Amino acid sequence: MSGANALIRLEGMSKTYQQGELTVEVLKGIDLQIAAGEFVALQGPSGSGKSTLMHLLGLLDRPSAGRYWLQGEDVAGLDDDRLSELRNRLIGFLFQTFYLVPYLSALENVVLPGLYSPGSARHLRHRAEELLVQVGLGDRLHFKPTQLSGGQQQRVALARALVNDPQVLLADEPTGQLDSATSAEIMELIAGIHRQGRTVVLVTHDAPTAACAERSIFLHDGRVVRA
Amino acid sequence: MTAVSSVLDTLRQLTRVCGMAGAALWAYRLRSAFVVAAIALGISSLTVIVASIDGAERKARQIVEMFGPDTAFVLGGDIESRAVGQRTLTLSYEDARSIRAELPGVYLVVPMRARSNVTVHYGDRRMDLPTVVGSTAGYAEVWNWPLAEGRDFSEEDVERGAKVALIGDTPARELFGDASPLGYTILVDKLPVQIIGRLAYRGVAGMGPPVDDRIILPITTLTQRFNLNRKYFRALRVKFTDPENMDFHVENLRSLLRRLHNLAPGDKDDFTILTADEILKFLSMFKGGLLLFLGITAAVAMVVGGFVLANLFYLSVSERRTEIGLKKALGAKSQAILQQFLAEAVGLTLIGALFGMALGMGMGQLLERLDILQILFSWKVFVYSVAAAVAIGLLFGLKPARQAAALPPVEALKGL
Repeated sequence: MSGANALIRLEGMSKTYQQGELTVEVLKGIDLQIAAGEFVALQGPSGSGKSTLMHLLGLLDRPSAGRYWLQGEDVAGLDDDRLSELRNRLIGFLFQTFYLVPYLSALENVVLPGLYSPGSARHLRHRAEELLVQVGLGDRLHFKPTQLSGGQQQRVALARALVNDPQVLLADEPTGQLDSATSAEIMELIAGIHRQGRTVVLVTHDAPTAACAERSIFLHDGRVVRA
Repeated sequence: MTAVSSVLDTLRQLTRVCGMAGAALWAYRLRSAFVVAAIALGISSLTVIVASIDGAERKARQIVEMFGPDTAFVLGGDIESRAVGQRTLTLSYEDARSIRAELPGVYLVVPMRARSNVTVHYGDRRMDLPTVVGSTAGYAEVWNWPLAEGRDFSEEDVERGAKVALIGDTPARELFGDASPLGYTILVDKLPVQIIGRLAYRGVAGMGPPVDDRIILPITTLTQRFNLNRKYFRALRVKFTDPENMDFHVENLRSLLRRLHNLAPGDKDDFTILTADEILKFLSMFKGGLLLFLGITAAVAMVVGGFVLANLFYLSVSERRTEIGLKKALGAKSQAILQQFLAEAVGLTLIGALFGMALGMGMGQLLERLDILQILFSWKVFVYSVAAAVAIGLLFGLKPARQAAALPPVEALKGL
């Protein structure tokens, strides 16, 4: 893999938190490259820093030190608005607890990222409906999250992650709250997204789930131990 | 080209943000209702204030019109020391005669006396009246009060002390219904008088006592038959030919009266001269007092509403942390979050303003029915209310909204 063409490239990235008097170093100089179109699992025990790394990869947080190139652009020093734009355009998120807005319908939740980007409302709605049909919720467009099962909620979140057609899908323990049958269905959908040519980064501590990925990166105590 | 498209982008963004705000307000409708209620109370008092001040102003104009710009009204006694038991019977016939004879520019001098609390009878109908007014010839002309029918007092009526009367609209209706009272004889207490004229309905209510429930007798008849002081009377109405020089005329009148009453320089006047200008001055003082009193009330009510808003919004921001964090993760800029919360705040205060105006108009109607205040609703009320509502929304919504916008996405998503 040539570093210049990597979609994601980290150099010496570290993250420290201040906890009272104590400085906690969660990430200790991560070097990492992920090529466009890869399906990578980030594995490691809890406390290894994999969630923090995912937040940094997803531009939800800033590194304390180190550099980050996303699509060749140095993003470590960008301002908040520019980071919002990049998240909106390039990255789709899946979370363990789904994070659907409780008072919005499935369709309204899926539309959400599109509302923060230019583009016509009609086209956006059409695309959202299409995606919900693709994840098998074509008959539940107007259901509220509380009327949906956990698996269905994660499907809505998946449709939402794709509505702006991002290059990267970042999934943080997406099956952590689901039973194994439902987990398998969700993983199948994620694999499908990868087959469409998108880059997928999956954070998990679960080996069978990680097995869906092409490559695993192991974190331990804030360092990459095996890439 | 790019400028136009960026304006369009901004507009679209605002529309979308307002849509989200609407959805959130509906989702938290109980909380929204509290804010709306708090704001509505403030706006309703503002509505009443603006409307009643406008009403007072209209009232003032009516009074001046009725009073007439060419008229001075002289009261016996000094209005400011009335309460200390000062003599109020200071104006005599001699004064009236001298004014008529000596003061330039005067064309009418009408002394007035009144007797209060009389009963009038016609057949088996009776009515209690607060006042019987005594007047010289030409009552209708001096008071700019047209007669609906019949004739005014003549000089002869007054000289003879004739048993004739002018009747106000209220007693005319009470005693005669819709029939004409002209030529009929009624009893005022025990004095039979013939009605020679009926005054037109005037109906200026609110500020003072009603004016239509009166009967007017020639002043001589009143003093002789009701055993009143024959030398003095309570008030004197003086009309001048040129209203432009009222200040000058009033000064002349004052010095003439001071001379007639033998007041030394430095003595206080033992009479009071009122003109339309004086009344306007008094009314504007009254208006100022009203503004101050009601203004403070409304300001307090609105600040309370604002604090309710701010409080519930702080609660909302902390309760909706994950929603805020999620929206940021999905690409919302801080500005979009700020706009959404401000839109929610202003949306609520605007709804509050609508309810408040409705409530205020209801209260206004009630005040008017009860004859406490005269109310005048206008576009001004609407504009002020909306402006105040937007101001409260922005002012008290800004801090919580800023706090929401400043949340880092990771922190917010953790939900704490």
